[in-house]
Formats: sequence, C-alpha cells, structure tokens
Amino acid sequence: MADTMGHSATATRNTSVALGFFVLAIAPQIFELIWSIGTIFGWAAGRGPLQIVAAHAAALVVGGPAALVGGDTKKASSDVLLALIYSYPLFVVAVLTIFMTIRSAQDYVGGIVLMALALFALWASSDLQGMRGFSFGAGTAPRMFGGLLVALGAAIALTGLLTDGPAMPHYSWRGPLLVMASIVFFALAIRPLGVVVTAFASFLIAAMGTHETRWIETIIVGACLTAGCALLFPYVLGLPMPMFPRFLVQ
Amino acid sequence: MFDLFHNLGLGFGVVFQVSWWSPWWLYGLSLPVSINILMCLIGALVGTLVGVLPGIGTVATVAMLLPITFGLPPVGALIMLAGIYYGAQYGGSTTSILVNIPGEATSVVTAIDGHAMAKQGRAGPALAIAAIGSFFAGCVATVLIAVLGAPLTKLALAFGPAEYFSLMVLGLIFAVVLAKGSVLKAIAMIVFGLLLSMVGSDIETGASRMAFNIPELADGLGFATVAMGVFGFAEIIRNLDAGAEMNRDLVQQKITGLMPTRKDLIDSAPAILRGTILGSILGILPGGGAVIASFASYTLEKKIAKNPSRFGRGAIEGVAAPESANNAAAQTSFIPLLTLGIPPNAVMALMVGAMTIHGIVPGPQVMQKQPELVWGMIASMWIGNLMLIIINLPLVGIWVRLLRVPYRLMFPSIVIFCAIGIYSVNNAPVDVILAGVFGLVGYWLIKHDFEPAPLLLGMVLGPLMEENLRRALLISRGDWSVFLTRPLSAGLLAIAAFLLVLTLLPMLRAKRDEVFTESEN
Repeated sequence: MADTMGHSATATRNTSVALGFFVLAIAPQIFELIWSIGTIFGWAAGRGPLQIVAAHAAALVVGGPAALVGGDTKKASSDVLLALIYSYPLFVVAVLTIFMTIRSAQDYVGGIVLMALALFALWASSDLQGMRGFSFGAGTAPRMFGGLLVALGAAIALTGLLTDGPAMPHYSWRGPLLVMASIVFFALAIRPLGVVVTAFASFLIAAMGTHETRWIETIIVGACLTAGCALLFPYVLGLPMPMFPRFLVQ
Repeated sequence: MFDLFHNLGLGFGVVFQVSWWSPWWLYGLSLPVSINILMCLIGALVGTLVGVLPGIGTVATVAMLLPITFGLPPVGALIMLAGIYYGAQYGGSTTSILVNIPGEATSVVTAIDGHAMAKQGRAGPALAIAAIGSFFAGCVATVLIAVLGAPLTKLALAFGPAEYFSLMVLGLIFAVVLAKGSVLKAIAMIVFGLLLSMVGSDIETGASRMAFNIPELADGLGFATVAMGVFGFAEIIRNLDAGAEMNRDLVQQKITGLMPTRKDLIDSAPAILRGTILGSILGILPGGGAVIASFASYTLEKKIAKNPSRFGRGAIEGVAAPESANNAAAQTSFIPLLTLGIPPNAVMALMVGAMTIHGIVPGPQVMQKQPELVWGMIASMWIGNLMLIIINLPLVGIWVRLLRVPYRLMFPSIVIFCAIGIYSVNNAPVDVILAGVFGLVGYWLIKHDFEPAPLLLGMVLGPLMEENLRRALLISRGDWSVFLTRPLSAGLLAIAAFLLVLTLLPMLRAKRDEVFTESEN
C-alpha cells in the first residue's frame, strides 16, 4: 500500500518535472514572443508576435526535421538551429524524464537546467567563426566550454538518478518577486524620476518582501535612508545622478 | 634584504604622505592630512561594519563601493578596498563570539568555541585573542608579501602564455578542491563562469559573441554586476526565505576584563603561529582564501590537541587559530594578484576591476612600473591592522548594538545601496536589471546546492585563459603538446592533475567532507 502510494507520488512529480523541462525547451521562443508584444506599441523593433509564432512553429515542426533528414544544417536559419541545438535535445530529456526514477530531484533538475543553459550558449555562438587552421576563431572557445558544460550538466543529472539525495528544494515567491520588482522599478525610474523618489519607492517595494514589515518604522527608515543617499552619492562622492523628477525640475 | 627595507620604506612614505588642507573656515590656516591613512581608516571601519552585519558579504560590499573609489587617486582607492577586505575578517569574529552569528563565512568556525567562551563569561579574552591573533597574522602576512613579492615577480616574467594558461588551470582546480560539496558541481560552476565571461566582443576578432544585439552586452557582462547579483541580491532573497526575524541570542551580560590571562596567552600562542602559517599558505594558493583557511586550521588544532573534547566548549585555541588563519589568508591572497596578475578569489577579482578602472593592468609590470602603488598598499595593510586592533576592542559595544537592527529594515536598505552602487558604475539602468537577474540565478544556484564562488572565479579568469590559450597555440602553430613540453607548464599541469585525482579518491574525499561539516555540528 505504502509502496504504491509512494510510486504514484513520484510518478505525478515526474510528469510535472517533465512538463517543466518541456516548457524550458521552448522558453527562448516564448520569451521572444513576449518581448515582441512591444512591437505592437512601437516600443521595440523586429518581428511581430504573429511572425514569431509562425517562424518558430515552422522551424520546430518542419524545418528541424527537414534539416536533420537532409543533413544540411549549414544553410539552416537561426530559428531552425535553435530548434535543432536547443529545443530537440530538451524534448528528448523531457520525454525520458517520465520513465526515470529520480532519486535526487535537486541534482537532477540542477544538472538538466545547466545543460539547457549550455545548449543555449552553443546555439548563441553557432553563428561565430570556428577554427581557422590552427588559430582560434571567435566561436571556438564558447563552443568548447559550452560542450564541456553540456557534459558536466548531464553528469550531474546522472548522479541525481543514481544516488540518493535531497528532493526538489522549496522556493518561496514573495521575497524573490518583490525584491526583483524593487530592483526593476529602480532601474526604470532612476533616470526619469531621480534618486529621491526612486530610492524611497524602491525601499517600500522591497520592504514588502516580508510579511513582518511594520509600516510606520519602515517609512521613517526609508525616508532617512533616501535623504542619506541623496546627500552621499551625488554630493559627497560626486557621482552624476538626477536628484528630482525631470518634470519637476523643468 | 636591503631592497626589502627600501621597498617598505617607500611604502610607508606613500601611506604617510601628507597634503595640506586649508578649509575656508580656518581662515588661511592649513591642517596636515594624510589621505591614504584616512582611506585606510575608512576601509577598515567599513570592513568591520560589513563583517559585523550578517546578510551582506565582503564581495557584495567591495562591488558596491567600487564606484565610490572612482574619484580617488588609485593608491587611495586600493588601500580602501584592501581595508574593507581584512577589516571584514576582524568584524566577523566579533559577532561570532558575542552573538553566535558569523557575519562572514570566514568566522563560522570561530563561533563554535568563541561563543562557548562568551557564555562562560569569557567574551573579553576571546575577543582579545581573536584581535591579537589577527594582528600577528596580519604582520606576518605583510612581511611575507614584501619578501615574496620581488622574487615571484621575476619568476612571472619568465612565464609565457603556456605557463600562464597552466597556472590558471591549476588555480581553478584548487578552487574545485577547496570548494564545499560536490566536485562535479564545482567544476560545472567554473565552466559556467567561463562561458559567461565569453559574452561580449571577442578580444582578437572583435566579433560580438552571445550578445543578441543588445548594446549593453556588447562590452561583456560586468564582473561587479554579476558579483553583486550572485552574492548580494541572492543572499537577501535567500535570507527572506527563512523569514526576516532571525533568532539572535545576544550575550546580554556586560563584557568585563578584556585582558586574557597568562595561561590563555601561553595556550594560544602556538595556535596563532600554526594558524598564521596555514593561512598564509592557503591564501597564496589560487582558489584558496580566507574561508578554507579558517576551516582547515580549526581542524588542525582539533587533530593535534591533547584533549580534543575541549573543543566546542570554549577552547581558546579554537578561536586563536582560525582567526589568525583567516586574516593571514586574506592578506597573502594579494600575492598572486600583485605578482602574477591572477586573482585567486572573488574579492581579488574585484580588485582587478578597481585597478583597471584606474588604468592599471595587474601583473608583474605593476611592481616595476608603479612601485609606490604596490608598496603603499602593502604598508597600508600593516597600518590598517594596527588601527583595527586599537579601534575594534573599544567599539565592540557599538557593533553589538548594530546587530539589534532588525533584518526587516536592513534588507531593503541593502537592496537600495546595491542598486545605486551598480547604477553608478556605468550610469546604466540595464546593469541594475542584470544584477537582479543574476540575483535570481544565484538564488536558484543556492537552492540546488551549487557554490557561486567558483563561478565568479571562472568568470574572472575566462578572458585571461582564453587569451593565453590562443596565444600559446598560435606560437606553437597549433601544437597542443606545448603545454606538456615546456617544463614549467608541464609541472603546473601535473600538480593540477594530481590534486584532482586526490580529491576524487574516496578516502580523502571523506576527510575533505569532514573539514566542511565541522562547522555544522
């Protein structure tokens, strides 16, 4: 009874891990798609969302297999290469994952994600020149280290299959999300809004990262810190930095 | 020998260089001010502060303060950054002993016996011995840098690209051997770092590599940005996981009697000596550094003690040895940087960044072309250590009070300081976002039990390694055997291979794990 329960538990978790890898395998494509939404509003240049969906779908479904069968990867477009170098190996891994017994999810997932990063780097450096005679081209070293990291990632994943170890770590979302939000807000606001507003607002956003925040003391400390930063960085250290929002100064 | 005194004299001359300061409110009077002494003091104080506060490490601080040094003369900037590094070693021990919270990874082992001593009401002697040990180690290390500097520089001039490459391989292998946990994961982190260092334009052909046409990436990932993300933001995010309220059992009773007894001194003298020697050696080795030095020396003390059961219950040797070791290692790790131009750890890598900002290319040439810089920095270390021992003991009360600042107020402040710091390096908002992304990467790495330190080392050595590898192969006309036919290079690679094999042997592996688990029980 306990056995079957344990088995079904790992089976369901395996499918979710495999599903995660599947998403990871098309993560660059999804990222490009999200990025391209900006083109609709004219924020960014490049291909529109519909073009991207069409191009990647064609590359994944038709272009990749065609290039594989034809053995003609030299002339393949960058989308097809992404499918070939990055997505297909990860699809394979995702499918294999379903049938594996994972003994240490921490190692297994860690290894596979590293492998994915390395594959992505291999794709990113695929347009660079390789060896020219005995001298290195721009792409030689990235490919060398990329290949090495693929092997190492696979080896780490293998240890996750063969030896017992910690299970999947628990991630919390509140801290990472709000600290990240605070950082992104800071980056976007520092130029238009200046140090005073930005630092204070970022402080408050970051403070939300824990539920233990008491608002009155946080606001007081934030105000003091903002005042300190506004004096320290631009005046004492002489670093060029806008102080107040642009629309107020003008 | 004469050279040595001449050089040290030059160094002290630089540090004590006096400029006249005549502020308007003194109506024409001038005050003698030594900027370098002032920098040394600021660095040491900031370092101690960082060492005291848990949740913000040396690497993140040095990265954060890099922009502050832009306006300073190069000597002053380097003196201050060096001060932060060894100041943190002092500060970390204070909180380890008093409150059982190691402010720095280097003083984790100090907490075991130091805090036990504090509970017995002997916090004073523990602090004093830690300070004395650190000071002694600092003095020895300063002399060692001065003595070894010149001969190593000569050796470095005999190095060709092949030797440089092999030396860096050796350094990376050391980083693997000395890293905590799985060897495989440590190697993977190094390679990941090497790969990250390839982003940006290629040195030789100028081709843009893995930059995705993003202009901010064309110049490569900034080392300070990645360091801040992986060591600064990631640490904060991880601390928030556990909840902001950390359990802090402060030692409430008043600290009485700083002076150690005669017996304390006799007991700890040999431990200090052993710690200093071990720390100096581990500091020089690339990939080593202060953390491993403190662990190793604690283990050594426990092994050779007549009565090992005393350890963990307030043995003074358990404070004296690791504290001397970490300070010695922190300082001797400047040796490979100053003589060979190879940073042995992440903090030294940031020093490289600081040097390049000021137009100094670290390496053997620096010692010959800018002796006042190198010797000034070396002399400042001795003075800084002296300052620390004088400042620190009276200030203990203030440091402890600082610890009562709750983390829920501290972490947003650290986030803001880090963000402003990174922004001001290049005035680039993208850098701030990149640091944030690397913060998430670092958080993920910590969660999956990967060590971020080898990653940074790989990232720093990446461009140097690639350049020397290419050059060596170009000179040998593509013949890879050049690394084995040149005796120096072959020797270095042999040591690296030997070390790697040693680490993988099961028997020694168990020993290595034992060293690292020492702190946990």
